[in-house]
Amino acid sequence: MEPIISARGIKRYYKRGSETVKALDGVDLTISSGEMVALLGPSGSGKTTLLNVLSCLDAPTDGTLVVAGKSVAGLKEEALVEVRRGVLGFVFQQFHLLPTLNVAENVELPLLFLGLKPDRRRTDEVLAMVGLSDRKTHLPRELSGGQMQRVAIARALNIDAKILVADEPTGNLDKVTGEQIFQLFKKLAKENDLALLITTHNTAFGYKADRVITMEDGRIVKEEHPGSAQASLRP
Amino acid sequence: MTTFKAYKKDRLVFLRYLVLATKNLRRRLVRTGLTVAGVALAVAVAVSLGGFMLGYRGAIDKSIEMLGFQVMIMAKGCPYEAATMMLKGGTGLLYLPADTYQRVKSDPDIDSITPVFVGVAQKEGSSIRDEGSAKTFTIISGIDAPSFLVMKPWLKMKSGPGFDGGRWFSPDATNEIVMGYEVAEYEQRKIGDTFYASITPAGNPEPVRHEFKVVGVLERTGTQDDGTVFLPIDSARKFFGRPEQLTILGIKLKQFSSFKMREFETRWLKLPEVQVVGLQQVKSTLTGLVATAQTMIAAVAVIAVIVAFIGVINTILMSVYERTGEIGIMKALGARRGDIFQLIWLETLMICLAGALVGSAVAVLGAGLVERAIKSLADLGVTGSIVRITPAVLGYAVLGAIVLGFFGGLYPAWRASSMRPVDAIREGAA
Repeated sequence: MEPIISARGIKRYYKRGSETVKALDGVDLTISSGEMVALLGPSGSGKTTLLNVLSCLDAPTDGTLVVAGKSVAGLKEEALVEVRRGVLGFVFQQFHLLPTLNVAENVELPLLFLGLKPDRRRTDEVLAMVGLSDRKTHLPRELSGGQMQRVAIARALNIDAKILVADEPTGNLDKVTGEQIFQLFKKLAKENDLALLITTHNTAFGYKADRVITMEDGRIVKEEHPGSAQASLRP
Repeated sequence: MTTFKAYKKDRLVFLRYLVLATKNLRRRLVRTGLTVAGVALAVAVAVSLGGFMLGYRGAIDKSIEMLGFQVMIMAKGCPYEAATMMLKGGTGLLYLPADTYQRVKSDPDIDSITPVFVGVAQKEGSSIRDEGSAKTFTIISGIDAPSFLVMKPWLKMKSGPGFDGGRWFSPDATNEIVMGYEVAEYEQRKIGDTFYASITPAGNPEPVRHEFKVVGVLERTGTQDDGTVFLPIDSARKFFGRPEQLTILGIKLKQFSSFKMREFETRWLKLPEVQVVGLQQVKSTLTGLVATAQTMIAAVAVIAVIVAFIGVINTILMSVYERTGEIGIMKALGARRGDIFQLIWLETLMICLAGALVGSAVAVLGAGLVERAIKSLADLGVTGSIVRITPAVLGYAVLGAIVLGFFGGLYPAWRASSMRPVDAIREGAA
C-alpha cells in the first residue's frame, strides 16, 4: 500500500522555563491509506503530540515528514493549513462541533473554507454512512456523545479526507458506544481507503486496529499488528 | 455515491460567512443587543448633533434671507440683542433719532432702505382665551409699507373665507393693522375684526387702550413676521410716545461684499449712537451663541463613540476567547487566517451596522423631541425647524459606524486569526 504519512526522526521539543521538554524524541513511522493505526501509551508519553505533528496541526522541531505527498517539516502554520485542507479530518474527545450549526451544517463546514458549494445529496449520503440520517437538523446539544462523534466522522467523509485523525475519540463515551464508534472507524477506513490514526487509553479498543504503536517518553517503544500476532520492540 | 470531485465552486460563499456570523452573534443575544444599543446611542447622538448643526445653520440662513435686509442700522448696544431682534422681532428698547433715516437714505451705495419702529403692546381683553400674563403681549411693528415690501416682496395677503380682500393700511391710518399669520390665528381674528391693544407711551406710567381694525392677514412665512402686528410707522411712533425715533433701518446695498460693507460701515459709524450690523456679523453672532453648546454636545457624541468603540471591541474579544476551541477546530478543518479574520470582522461590522440602523431610526423618530428640548433650553434667535436630519447626515452616520466596525474589528480578528490551531483546540478543551 502507498504510504500517506511518512515520518523520519521526528522531534518536538518545548521550552518550559529553562527546561527543554522532549515531547517527541526521534520518531519514525509510516502509515498507509486504508490502514488503522492506534497510538497507546500513558499520559505524557507523546501520543497527542505525535498526532498533532502527523496531522500538520503542529510543526516538528526536527526530522522529515511527508503527508499526502507533501514535505511539511519546517513549514509555518500558513503553509501547514494548505496541507490540511481537504486532506485531513479530525475527531476529538471533546467533539468540537460548532454549537450554532445543525448536524448537516457542521458536516458541510469544511466546504466553506474550501470555497465549495455544499451538495445536500452528498451530505445525506455521508450522514447515512454514519447512521445519522434522522438527525440532520438537530443541533449538537440535542445529540448524544456517540452521535456527535459520528457527526465529526461524517464531516471528514464529506470532503473525502485521506487521513482521519482521532484524539481519544471514545474518551467521553460509554463502552457500548465506544465499541460502535471503533467498528465504524474500521469499516470506513476499509471502504474509503482512509488512513486512520487514533490515540486511546483504552487498550481493548486499541487492539482492534490494524497496527498498535505504544509510546513512552516521546519514543515508540513497541509496534504490533494484532491481526497477524506480529509484534516488534523498538530500542 | 456522489464524489468530492463533484463539488462546485460556491459563488455565494460570502453569504455563507454572513449566515455563520449572524448565528454566532445570536448565540449571546443579550450581550450582542447591549453592544448594538451602545453603538445605536452613539449614532443617535451623532445624527441628532449633525441634524442640529445642519438645521440650525439652515434656519439662520433662512431667517436672514427672509429679513430682506443685508445691513441694519440701529442704536448702539449688545450685538447679541441686535441679532435676536433682527430675527425674532424682539425689542431692542434703544432708539435712533428719526433724522438718521433722512441722512442715511441719500448714501449712493444704498439700493433700498426701510425704517422700522418696534414696540411691545399688551393685548388687553382682546383674546377669547384665558391665559397667563406671559401670553398677553404682542410685538408691534411700525413700518413704511411701500419700502418694507420692496425688502420683502414675498409677503402676501391670506385669502379664503374671512380673509379675502385683505390690503395694507394707508400710511396715515391710525387704527388699521395687518396681522401676521400666527398672531391672527392665535387671536382668531379675520378681516374687519377689532383688535385691542394697550400701549404705554414713553414718559407715561399708565397704558393707553387702542382699538384697531384688521385690514389684512398675511400668509405664513415661517419667520418672525408671522407673530407680528403691523401698523403704519407714524402711528406706532405716536402711540409709543416717540414721534422722533426709530428702532432700525433695514438696508439693501447695490453691491454687497465685505469690502463695500466695510466702506458703508466706516461712513455711518461716524454718526453718534449708531451701530451698523451686517448679515455676516449677525450670522457669526448667532452661530457663536450656540457654538459652546454644540461643542459640548459634540464632546458627548465623541465620548459616546469612544464608549461604543470600546464596547464593540470588548464584546468581540470576549466572543473570540469563548470560541477559542471552535476557532482552533475551524483552522484544523482548513480555515486560513483570512477566513477567520473575515468571519470575526464581519461579526464586528454587523454589530456596528445594526447599531447604525437602530440609532438612525431613533434619531429620526426623536428629532421632534430633540428640537423641543433644545428650544426649551435656549433661545437660539431663529424661527422654524432647527433639527434637519437629511439622507446625507444618515449616510455619514452609517459610514461612521462602518468605519467604527472596521477599526474595532481589527484587533479581535487579528487575535483570532493568529491563534495556532493546536493551542486553540487545547485551550478550548480546558
